[in-house]
Amino acid sequence: MRSVYELSGVCKDFFTGSRTVRAVSDTDLLIPDGEWIAVRGRTGHGKSTLLNLLGALDRPTAGRLLLDGRDLARLGDAQLTRVRATDIGFIFQTFNLVPTLSAAENVEAALVPLGVRQAERRRRVAAALDSVGLADRARHLPAELSGGQQQRVAIARALVKEPKVLLADEPTGNLDEDTRDEIVGLMEKLWRERGLTLVLVSHDSAVVRRAQRVGVMSRGRISFKT
Amino acid sequence: MFFFTYLARELRRRMRQAIFIALGLAVGVGLVITVTAASAGVRNAQAGVLKGLYGVGTDITVTKPPPAFNPASGGGPGPAGSGTRVTLGPGGAEVCTNNKCTHGAQSLDTLSGDASSPLSAATVGSIGRLHGVAAAAGGLSLTDRQLTIPANLGQPGSSLPQPVSFTVQGTDIATAARLGPLSDATLASGREFTAADADKDVAVVDKNYAIATNLTVGKTITVAKTKFTIIGLVAQPQGSTPPDVYIPLARAQALGTSTGNALTGQVNTIYVTAASASDIPAVQQEIARLLPTVTVTTPSSLASQITGSLSSTAKLAGDLGTWLSILVLIAAFAVAVLLTMAAVSRRVREFGTLKALGWRGRRIVAQVMGESMAMGLLGAAAGVGLGFAGAAIINAIAPDLTAILTQPTGEHIVTPAGSSNPTVSHAVAVPLSASVSAAAIAAAVLLAIAGGLLAGAFGSWRISRLRPADALSKVG
Repeated sequence: MRSVYELSGVCKDFFTGSRTVRAVSDTDLLIPDGEWIAVRGRTGHGKSTLLNLLGALDRPTAGRLLLDGRDLARLGDAQLTRVRATDIGFIFQTFNLVPTLSAAENVEAALVPLGVRQAERRRRVAAALDSVGLADRARHLPAELSGGQQQRVAIARALVKEPKVLLADEPTGNLDEDTRDEIVGLMEKLWRERGLTLVLVSHDSAVVRRAQRVGVMSRGRISFKT
Repeated sequence: MFFFTYLARELRRRMRQAIFIALGLAVGVGLVITVTAASAGVRNAQAGVLKGLYGVGTDITVTKPPPAFNPASGGGPGPAGSGTRVTLGPGGAEVCTNNKCTHGAQSLDTLSGDASSPLSAATVGSIGRLHGVAAAAGGLSLTDRQLTIPANLGQPGSSLPQPVSFTVQGTDIATAARLGPLSDATLASGREFTAADADKDVAVVDKNYAIATNLTVGKTITVAKTKFTIIGLVAQPQGSTPPDVYIPLARAQALGTSTGNALTGQVNTIYVTAASASDIPAVQQEIARLLPTVTVTTPSSLASQITGSLSSTAKLAGDLGTWLSILVLIAAFAVAVLLTMAAVSRRVREFGTLKALGWRGRRIVAQVMGESMAMGLLGAAAGVGLGFAGAAIINAIAPDLTAILTQPTGEHIVTPAGSSNPTVSHAVAVPLSASVSAAAIAAAVLLAIAGGLLAGAFGSWRISRLRPADALSKVG
């Protein structure tokens, strides 16, 4: 199967004064198209840094990181921005919705950089909200929605641009168990329906166990149980 | 569309801060407009005073200082002016004019211009031909002094006679409408001078002087023992110090004297109009080069001679007002910048998320700049309102200002303690009318927008340096 991501010898260092901290160390990884991979590990062992690298939010210090054949380590800022706008959907632990915008406007924000015309934007936003069961909450502000509903809006925002990859960083970390199951169920459904490649970082074994493959980050290296 | 939706929502969310920033800018802008309006009012008041002195079309006046007083050359400090001496003795009063002495009751009436020396009328043509001069006209600024001396003056029981004087302007009728003191006057009754009046004994009288002395059109006024028929009354703008009586220049030259000498073919003030305002300094220099002994006065040099509350207010508006405006604007800009930067700091997660969604840095910068500019525009709108209110308050409560112009009389007084050249001060009440100009409004609006943009620029600088991974990692 074709790989969406190909990582070879990827390192990420952070420089704090005279100290250098290696957050991701010499990582090789292939993620096939349409796979759901979960990453777990202790805090500070590089899970989020790896996710940032996969999401074109940061560049590796060394190594090669290919997304659909493009080496993200060599792309300029504008090109990375374009990759994020078209190919990658993000879901965050704290939802990260813009508090002044309604649910529909938050979803629409993901289409703004793509230059989609307004009528088309409205159609796609309505469809995205419908797909997460929030068609009737389109005009609500984030503060008027429950945590689960806010995360649904965030999922709709991530999917409205029809990305190749969905990256989720502790997407259920701020939710109770019932809502967690509901959100994970929704993500699984959308993953299956849309043939997405899903990379999910979580501490929660109930979430992780639903993935096809589970990697463990330790001291900046990822390893998989065979 | 999304841009404006997002902008409006953000302003609504931070309404208190937006209002605070807008108000800060508004106070600065309002102060700038008010100070500018007050300064314009003071400038207009000064221009009114100067215009009243020399007429609406005059840019430059040329006069020649009176000669230094020489006691040996004669001429005493008599009440009737230079060349005439009144001596009280046991036999009554003795009046000597140009060494001709008479005794007993008599009426003195002299028309003289001793405040400045005469210039040849040909000088007017020379100045008129200078580069940058649009027009030049000569005039005679004179004073008519009348004194009735009773036969028993100096005897027991007699009282000192009260001299009567009024100012007389010898007017070049050909140019009177556009140059010189009569150019700014409006006809109140009767008629203006015509070319046919050039050699006639006709006079135009200032309306205020006419009211004070009960003169009307058709009556006569005596100037240098000659009866002039009043053909018209004119009104000069408020705040001016116009001559009392205008007579044809040729008649003034025929009747007037200066330090006892006739003024035939002479003028003592030349009124000059420059081709443009920018030509005034060059024309001033050319005249000074052509006539090294004359005094060349421009509106700016004359303005510096004005004292009184008008001068104080001009200084206040110019110095304190300007600095206060600058300080308030700096404070408003600083507050706007600090609050915008604080707001950007609070929105780091939001901007990081937008970058993760694929928003370009410059789109986010534009969003922040747009919000700042909207606050600037709000501040400008409120500031313009405050500026108008400030100008209205000034107009409502400001008392009339007083312009004091001090000029030499041309007389010399000799006492045992020494000699002196007395001066006369004209105090003119000038209403202060602060007016807001379109240019001031435009400048103030630009200032407010600049303030908003400056605040936005500092916030944007912060955003442009924001790496998405760092922004999101700060969320925790």
